[in-house]
Amino acid sequence: MRYLIEHETILDYPAAVREHHLELRLTPRQDTGQRLISHRIELEPAAERHSYQDYFGNGVDYFCVTAPHTCLTTRLTAEVETLRENPFDFEPVPVYQQKEWYAQELRQTPALYDYLLHRSSLTPAIMKLAAELDCAVPRYEAEQVPLNSLLELMAWVPQVLSYGAGSTAVHNDLLDAVRHRTGVCQDFAHLFITVARSWHLPSRYVMGYMDPGILAEGEMIATHAWAEVLVPGGGWIGFDPVHNLLANDRYVAVAVGRDSYDAAPQRGSFKGGDAATQPQVNLTITNQ
Amino acid sequence: MPPLSSPASSGPKTSYHEFYADDFSPRDHYRLLWDHIRATGNNALETKDHESQLALQTEGVTFTVYGESEEGIERIWPFDLIPRIITAAEWVRIESGLKQRVRALNLFLEDLYGEQKIIKDGVIPPELIYQGKDFRREIVGIVPPRGIYTHISGIDIIRDEQGDFLILEDNLRTPSGVSYMIENRIIERRILPEFFNKYRVRRVEHYPSLLLDALRCLSPRGKGTAEIVLLTPGIYNSAYFEHTFLAKEMGIELAEGRDMVVINDIVYLKTTKGLKRVDVIYRRIDDDYLDPLIFRSDSSLGIAGVINAWRAGNVAIVNAPGSGIADDKAVYPFVPDIIRYYLGQQPILKNVPTYQMTNVTDREYVFDNMERMVVKAVSESGGYGMLMGPSSTTALRKEFMDRVLENPRNYIAQPVVYLSRHICYMDGELEARHLDLRPFVIYGEDIQVVPGGLTRVALRKGSLVVNSSQGGGSKDTWVLAE
Repeated sequence: MRYLIEHETILDYPAAVREHHLELRLTPRQDTGQRLISHRIELEPAAERHSYQDYFGNGVDYFCVTAPHTCLTTRLTAEVETLRENPFDFEPVPVYQQKEWYAQELRQTPALYDYLLHRSSLTPAIMKLAAELDCAVPRYEAEQVPLNSLLELMAWVPQVLSYGAGSTAVHNDLLDAVRHRTGVCQDFAHLFITVARSWHLPSRYVMGYMDPGILAEGEMIATHAWAEVLVPGGGWIGFDPVHNLLANDRYVAVAVGRDSYDAAPQRGSFKGGDAATQPQVNLTITNQ
Repeated sequence: MPPLSSPASSGPKTSYHEFYADDFSPRDHYRLLWDHIRATGNNALETKDHESQLALQTEGVTFTVYGESEEGIERIWPFDLIPRIITAAEWVRIESGLKQRVRALNLFLEDLYGEQKIIKDGVIPPELIYQGKDFRREIVGIVPPRGIYTHISGIDIIRDEQGDFLILEDNLRTPSGVSYMIENRIIERRILPEFFNKYRVRRVEHYPSLLLDALRCLSPRGKGTAEIVLLTPGIYNSAYFEHTFLAKEMGIELAEGRDMVVINDIVYLKTTKGLKRVDVIYRRIDDDYLDPLIFRSDSSLGIAGVINAWRAGNVAIVNAPGSGIADDKAVYPFVPDIIRYYLGQQPILKNVPTYQMTNVTDREYVFDNMERMVVKAVSESGGYGMLMGPSSTTALRKEFMDRVLENPRNYIAQPVVYLSRHICYMDGELEARHLDLRPFVIYGEDIQVVPGGLTRVALRKGSLVVNSSQGGGSKDTWVLAE
């Protein structure tokens, strides 16, 4: 599939701010699952653009608007070709070799430990999660390929959390979302990751976009979030518990990290004035 | 694994006396000093003691303790006039041991933030690094000039019951105390000039010029054009005296985060004459507060954008961000292995035996012998978050056991080492007190150890806690030239 993504964010400040530093993680990633055809990032007021690749492999663009301003607009235009038509299309590693396969991956790439060991209020320890649940956490079936357990986990998440329903704000705490039994895509992804990590499977958070055609009822078009798990033979496989779908060519991945904090599309720091009022987001995703 | 041999049970119970060889006579290198003290008499000593206190007061040599009030209390720096003497032979061992250690720790940092060979080779467990609070993912892949992370290290050395020098702690973030090392020398020279005539004592007063030279070398615009700034968190910091002292001695600007701005990856100091480009930042604030864009977003002490400027190679930050993982107390037990791994040498200075609380056997042994242990939180310093077994209550020991069980990675334990003693002039009497030593290591063109250091004294009789924040005092430290 081929998508044109136009993503504008307008931040209004009640009083002028200055020395405004901004980091954007908005550039769709390039990997075996997707190809970036073109992309442009603009800022108003205009500022010099600098880039680097962060620890998690995300492309970061950063800017500094020094002069006082009361409004800041970021605009992304990107064309992406997605290639993963069928996420099930891989040769799984035989069950008896799985353990060694993971051990090998971790030996070669110690940074994967981050996706196993990271605990935060967004992806807490499993004991803390279990204490808040009135149902059992799904069990990992070690005698099968991980995909089976992961598909069950993906179907389980929406039984714990119902989508949206009055919780428009992003929770800073997964347990808080679980207590209220409602959440948005971030919470769904964090819940999935929390359980998958307790199974000792390297799991990470993905921020990106998805085809508006698969929006659930009542779901607004917005940046989306899901989880990826490293699966023997398949590499990073995406799980979207909101829609109970594996991420295929209708998903465009942008940034990854241990949790939503690492993959935040926008991070800033400024002097003077107060925080911005609710940002205005204009997002269109066109299937070309 | 059987428990480590415990010096507290197997070694002699009495601590090593720095000054006396036995009950009656001083050690050879203290004989001249002893003769002089006896000839001078108690009255003269009292006068000298009084003069030294006055001098510290008029010089305004102070430090700040945090306590009941939030802003901290400024106190006059506590100084004991009897110097601590280290022989040339002892110093050779200390110096070579510290150089070896600092070299290895810098190679370790370069590796951790690069290829991680030491983890892949199975020498360091990955959990130790990835669960360490001070492993900074934000700087992975950035190589600071010449791979140097810790331009300034303050390494705490103690002497065990046998008189062997052991490494107690590495301080690689923003080690403090060097200004007091210099002030102690200035006061000692002024009050007791006659002491110095009898010994050839090596200088320490040139520390600021050594540091300035090391800082200049780091300037991205070359040594000749080096605008250097000391970044302080401000007047409420416990080491603010030292910040002003060093800035003045080196002739560099003392600035707070709000005095600086980053524009297009260049750091500037705001001056009355406009913006002035900054090449080197000698920061005395923690990584967490250094850059609100990258680390803690609620920090108002740092400079937004400074890490990106550093990544771009436009400014040097001293010590480099991320250095803290190498002095994490849970990494400390691995330092001898780190030395062997990178240098292929045996460590010259040994560690204090250390129990890892993540190891069940170690932990149970420690819990069974809690009153003979020191339990430390891994990422705290200054004597905070610590349990001293021998002087602890049952309730406190229970509290620490709970804390350890809650988060074993966050604690280590060591058998109590009875630090060496030295005579101190206490209210008109010469009395023995325990002490340690913090020498300072500068890694510039090469690694240099300033011959001396800050000798810290536990002023309370019998106490083993020397931290200034916990009521410790200090002595001038003499390293003999021959």
